[in-house]
Amino acid sequence: MARISAGIATSHVPLLGVAVDQDKTRDPYFHPIFSGYEWTKRWEAERKPDVILLVYNDHASAFDANIIPTFAIGTGEHFKPADEGWGPRAVPDVIGHPDLAWHIAQSLILEEFDMTIINQMDVDHGLTVPLSMMFGTPAAWPAKVIPLAVNVVTYPVPSGNRCWMLGEAIRRAVESFPEELDVQIWGTGGMSHQLQGQRAGLINAAWDNRFMDSLIGESEAARHIPHIEYLRETGSEGIEMVMWLIMRGALGPRTRLLHRHYHVPCSNTAIGHLVLEPC
Amino acid sequence: MSEKADIHDYLAEFDDIPGTRIYTAKRARQGYHLNQFAMSLMKAENRELWKADEAAYLDQWPMSDEQKQAVLARDYNRLLDLGGNIYFLAKVFSTDGLSFVQAVSTMTGMSVEEYQAMMNSGGRSPDGVRSIKDAR
Repeated sequence: MARISAGIATSHVPLLGVAVDQDKTRDPYFHPIFSGYEWTKRWEAERKPDVILLVYNDHASAFDANIIPTFAIGTGEHFKPADEGWGPRAVPDVIGHPDLAWHIAQSLILEEFDMTIINQMDVDHGLTVPLSMMFGTPAAWPAKVIPLAVNVVTYPVPSGNRCWMLGEAIRRAVESFPEELDVQIWGTGGMSHQLQGQRAGLINAAWDNRFMDSLIGESEAARHIPHIEYLRETGSEGIEMVMWLIMRGALGPRTRLLHRHYHVPCSNTAIGHLVLEPC
Repeated sequence: MSEKADIHDYLAEFDDIPGTRIYTAKRARQGYHLNQFAMSLMKAENRELWKADEAAYLDQWPMSDEQKQAVLARDYNRLLDLGGNIYFLAKVFSTDGLSFVQAVSTMTGMSVEEYQAMMNSGGRSPDGVRSIKDAR
């Protein structure tokens, strides 16, 4: 049977992709960010997961203002890097796992999560930057990837509690897949940042760190944080952190911390990164 | 439920955050064509047409004159007021060759250098900009 062996949380700032693509990761500005991912790169090279269920948000790349799915799962064979206005990133195509993706989609719908199913889409920095952070610059990504896109742009976005529940249902879906597969779930986005208006540049390191604390161990406090708290405390784009709760929900009742990293700033954003194991 | 069930109460709270426009359904409706115009700049051939004649390119979209003027002026705060969303507007400033930091700083009343210096020293504190009515 397949199982979820670990969860990763990470920010997915587009500038990190630029730093990787232009070989600037050792520059003084970027080094303190990338050094916090070295542990995870070594760990991933040893763990060699088969599939990554990668929770991210599309930044007006695959989905325009016309169609706004709350939860969308990518069931395609492969996904190309999106052209976000400056040409697509020169990173490998993302190879999907249609068998597991369709199994998860069907199971979630039976559990009353009304998923949108996407066979063909391009994937933007929200998905490819985390792959670069964890795997560097390989000729091909070392794991299959199932994209799970969440609407965190047009309100109302899903509640933290709903995201956590989706994670719990994903865990049950993965565990009912008959093939032996090591599956990781990654929750991406955040941490505190605001990219718009006169309040842009907001960072709240104390809040971010309390949020990370709350995902370790048995606490379920984070699932009840209302949207307005993310918006007031962590900036308008800090709402992306609800996606971390899908990852946390999928890890079950208790987690153990393997690795943690936090750095301000990257571009407009606070970088946060956790590696968690169910226990 | 961890959210307020009443949609009116839920939306009303968003207007209490200083210097922030939450992208609600109301804004998404107002800005639909503006955001779809910006989205069109994801295609290289459209970027060429746009650069060749911005005003003519805008005239192909059923946008208000105010929206068109704000795009031509790259007035991003005004565009937010008129229903623009930052991830769509990013296609405009990316086509201009601006980074997120460069474009975002224009909305804050600070120079790019001042804004970068603020970010490098830990960012903008949430103190005093959480709530208009509570002044906290």
